[in-house]
Amino acid sequence: MAIVIVDGHQIELADHERLNGIQAAERVGVDIPHYCWHPGLTVVASCRMCLVETGTRNAETGAITMVPKLVPACQTPAKDGTVFVTDSDAVKKARAQVEEALLIDHPIDCPICDKAGECYLQDYHFEHGQPERRADIRPFTSATRDMGDTVKLFVDRCVMCSRCVRFCREITGTSELLVINRGSAEEIDVFPGYPLANKLSGCVVDLCPVGALGDKDFLYKQRVWYMKQHAGVCAGCSTGCSIDIDENQDTVYRLKPRENMFVNKWWMCDEGRYGYKHLHSPDRKFEPRRKIAVSGNGKFSSTTAGEFENIDWSQIPTELAGRLQTVCAEGNGRLAAVVSPNLTVEEAYLLCKMARKFDPQAVLALGPVPVVGEDETFPGKFIIHAEKCPNRKGVEEVLAHFCSGQIKSFDELLEDLPSGRIKAAWVSGGYSHSHWCDDTAAQQFAALELLIVQDMFASPLWNVAHYQLPGAGFAERAGSYVNFAHRLQSFTWAIRPPAGVWVEGHLYWTILGMRGLYNARKVLDEVAAEIIAFSAAADAIPPVGIDLRINQLAGAIS
Amino acid sequence: MQKSEPVLLANVGKPESWTLRVYEANGGYQGMRKVFKEMSPVQTTEMVKASGLRGRGGAGFPTGLKWTFLPKDHPGPIYMCINADESEPGTFNNRILMEDDPHQVLEGIIISCYATRATTAYLYLRYEYPLCWDRLQAAIDECYTKNFLGKNILGSEFSLDIFLHRGAAAYICGEETGLIESLEGKRAWPRIKPPFPAVEGAFRKPTVVNNIETVACVTHIANRGVDWFKSMGVPPDPKNPRDAGSYGPKLYCLSGHVNKPGCYEGPLGITCRELIDEFGGGIWKNRKGKAAIPGGISMGLLTEPEFDTKLDFNALGKVGCLGLGTAAVVVMDETVSMVDFLHNSCRFFQHESCGQCTPCREGTAWALRMLNRIKAGKGRLKDLDLLLEIGDSIGIIPGTTICGLADGAAWPIKNAIRKFRSEFEDYIKRTNPGGYAVTEPVPALVQLQAH
Amino acid sequence: MIAKQRVLTDEIVAEIKSLFPRYPTKQAVTLPALHVVNEKLRYVPLEAVVKIAELLELAPAVVQDTLSFYGMFKQAGPHGKVRAWVCRSISCALRGGDEILDHLCHQAGIKPGETTADGALTLEFAECLGACEYAPCMLAGKTLHKNLTNESADAFLKEAVGK
Repeated sequence: MAIVIVDGHQIELADHERLNGIQAAERVGVDIPHYCWHPGLTVVASCRMCLVETGTRNAETGAITMVPKLVPACQTPAKDGTVFVTDSDAVKKARAQVEEALLIDHPIDCPICDKAGECYLQDYHFEHGQPERRADIRPFTSATRDMGDTVKLFVDRCVMCSRCVRFCREITGTSELLVINRGSAEEIDVFPGYPLANKLSGCVVDLCPVGALGDKDFLYKQRVWYMKQHAGVCAGCSTGCSIDIDENQDTVYRLKPRENMFVNKWWMCDEGRYGYKHLHSPDRKFEPRRKIAVSGNGKFSSTTAGEFENIDWSQIPTELAGRLQTVCAEGNGRLAAVVSPNLTVEEAYLLCKMARKFDPQAVLALGPVPVVGEDETFPGKFIIHAEKCPNRKGVEEVLAHFCSGQIKSFDELLEDLPSGRIKAAWVSGGYSHSHWCDDTAAQQFAALELLIVQDMFASPLWNVAHYQLPGAGFAERAGSYVNFAHRLQSFTWAIRPPAGVWVEGHLYWTILGMRGLYNARKVLDEVAAEIIAFSAAADAIPPVGIDLRINQLAGAIS
Repeated sequence: MQKSEPVLLANVGKPESWTLRVYEANGGYQGMRKVFKEMSPVQTTEMVKASGLRGRGGAGFPTGLKWTFLPKDHPGPIYMCINADESEPGTFNNRILMEDDPHQVLEGIIISCYATRATTAYLYLRYEYPLCWDRLQAAIDECYTKNFLGKNILGSEFSLDIFLHRGAAAYICGEETGLIESLEGKRAWPRIKPPFPAVEGAFRKPTVVNNIETVACVTHIANRGVDWFKSMGVPPDPKNPRDAGSYGPKLYCLSGHVNKPGCYEGPLGITCRELIDEFGGGIWKNRKGKAAIPGGISMGLLTEPEFDTKLDFNALGKVGCLGLGTAAVVVMDETVSMVDFLHNSCRFFQHESCGQCTPCREGTAWALRMLNRIKAGKGRLKDLDLLLEIGDSIGIIPGTTICGLADGAAWPIKNAIRKFRSEFEDYIKRTNPGGYAVTEPVPALVQLQAH
Repeated sequence: MIAKQRVLTDEIVAEIKSLFPRYPTKQAVTLPALHVVNEKLRYVPLEAVVKIAELLELAPAVVQDTLSFYGMFKQAGPHGKVRAWVCRSISCALRGGDEILDHLCHQAGIKPGETTADGALTLEFAECLGACEYAPCMLAGKTLHKNLTNESADAFLKEAVGK
């Protein structure tokens, strides 16, 4: 165990911990300003903003010997007896000098710069900078440079922290960004014909401490102080990156990675980052509709042409319950539920519970699992998975519980349908596109007496449904996903769904007669109690999630 | 003063002094043979350590001590980098050694590599020395022919390759880790230390970086012994336990406003005035001296009264200079404007700053812009205060930068303004009568011409 | 896009490859390779950077990063048959170096860094050439011109460009 002193406060570090001065100071709530240091990149100690005074404390005598010069906190390890002083006059003066140096040539673009409100240079200027400009006044240029499809460089705003260059060399291994020239003429650039095109390109914008690198998708769209930030989980693939969802008045403007040392560290891929657009697509469905019944007995004819009428959500729970009861009264095993890998664990559980309530032998199947390409691992150990849904593992665990280990796939269900035993199906979707099932599959379902489809977009299956129920997108759900590595992460909704959309969980909750508003945590409590695989979820879930296998008994499900 | 027989410059001036034939005829490679025959690598290191040899490249770090920082039982490879990137303004002694006595240098390299168990030596030679390249390469080829290089040198177990590696006109490649980065093929941004090169240097292996003149001294220490080396120079100050003394012969480069600019050999510790008067023929054109750079422009300035300061590793600090540096003395006569001097210095450092760390990158550029404005007649008295603030704050000594280039940029600013303040103030007042007292920021000067 | 024309001859490629055994990494051959190309072509065009990067198994951006740091490798077009570096550091400046450079530029009709229209001469300023005992001096190709005067500078120009 090591004792480190920061500004007179003592902290204890465990033996295995390798922290630098910045991290040690964080532990006592002291923010040492810095630009170039990043926990995920090599240490270069070039910005010189994190300069502090350091020394050692003699454990026996208690005497402190300080080093006579300033040192960067980022390159000073916090070892037993290390002393850091971050608030002395020398330190304050050094910070003010670095700030001033950076501002000499930095165009004061704040009114037109995206980074305003989350800019290190701005923040540090207010906290640590000189009160007035002392350098000559010169007109600033506002040159921009295209880095690639996703990123634009505002050349003169750059503070040469080199984080972006290091990212491309160390994390993605693609080395597209370079520094040109020498000294004060240095700029960031790309080699002509070799633009910034790696699959994590958006991360360089996260890394840029100032507004030099701009995300073309987000540029000029929204001021950061108007947005609220919500912790979430990306639904793009089974990596399950922890993210922050930035929204204003229920419109998502951007996604950013959230630090999670167990999953994505500090990164996320472009596909995930820009994978929120479908939430606000004009093609999104938000009117619950029922196929117009032709025959007088209220049953739907399978040959009925596609005439739909709008229905009210207030009617739906009772009406659907009634329909399901009718179908299931004629025998067991007549109801099928397709549990989408886009649903949360809680929603999957409630759907299964609801299906089995009406039909104790309801057939439960996993929805189609989209797979695109191969898993891709980057030198910085980040993985983009080929499995493009967030919760297959979680849904499978729920299904395994309800089906005694026998998990039926969507294709297997399609093989069952022609036998005619199944009369009704409840299909959950949540896919961000329309082609997750084809016409052939849709026709299989079209022959059913009752087809209920919850989804965001029209698809072949949606078009043949008897009940078309608009469903939610990932940022509108509250609940938990389980990623490829069995990590369960919980989140609350970031935006409300468009009017006319009921989040899936809310509908199941209502049909099941549960009291009050939808409460994902309550459902998770039940899931943790009922399903051994989720027993670790009984306690509060920390922001980085939990590894479900922690409590695994020997021989239990893998 | 008594002038001793040159040792480092002994062969310079002899016809074809750069050939192996002439070098051996004058006793060359005896030291190397002796070391191989009689001493182990550890003993060789101890010998150099005992001699008190301090690096001649500018930092003056004790050479033998630096060699002991190498890990003791490293499986290798260990690299030696010979710093021939001599770019400090005013300095040219390495050039002369390499042009006119390359074998003296090579012998020193071979002995040094033997001591440090380095198996490959890269001689990083600046681009601007094409004659040195040709002569060094020819000398290296001669060594290979005689098995002074290559596998199992002279039947010993020691093998060594020396490769010339050409620089590309960047001063910062003379900084030891800047050199290593350049050698590795990257931009020459110096590394943070720790780790030190002796532990993790070139290609992540233990590396020692030594200057040309330093390794030439090693040759003579091997040849003539530790006692001979210590018989010259200045012993340590008994009052200062950190003073390692200033031993051995030194090559002084003398240039500027003297009658006989040139490279002169003498013991460490002669004064600047002795160098000027007794070696350099005195100030030219019968003028008086005004100021002198004591050890390459990074070291700052001596005023004329300070010409009596000893040129060693100790005394110059006492008159406010950074140190001995490369012992390159550049003399300025009474007609020189200190504004011009400082402008030239700031222009150099702005051009050569590697740009990696904020205080140096921005500070050197800011200083140059102020000097441009001052020289153009738009200076303010406040600029002098700002320049001093830059000078006092940037550098590895206060800890605000990664390497010592910033200190080199800072010292001329500090010395020039502090030692010649009235001259700067007069110039500013005279050339900008209407604006010299302004303290608010002024519009920047837009330079229309040239370099 | 960079044209896919071949700029590096077999001879140049062979010379670069011959340097590989000297270093433990291919990246270390970057600067030597840039010199090989620069010696032969008098510049290092972008196409050459791509080819060097390919030989050294590096991204072109990495080679370009190193190249642009040094500031001495021209990329838009070759420098003159003679490239003359006039020193502007303190020892030469004290003996008229800046003035000699101005004189040469004026006579040749170009600014430092530029090449005469006939491609004969490029003038550059240099930082300390390490020949301070011969100040002011100039390095033209491999020749060091010592103790320059306006007259000797004119003589040099006459030979270099016939002016």
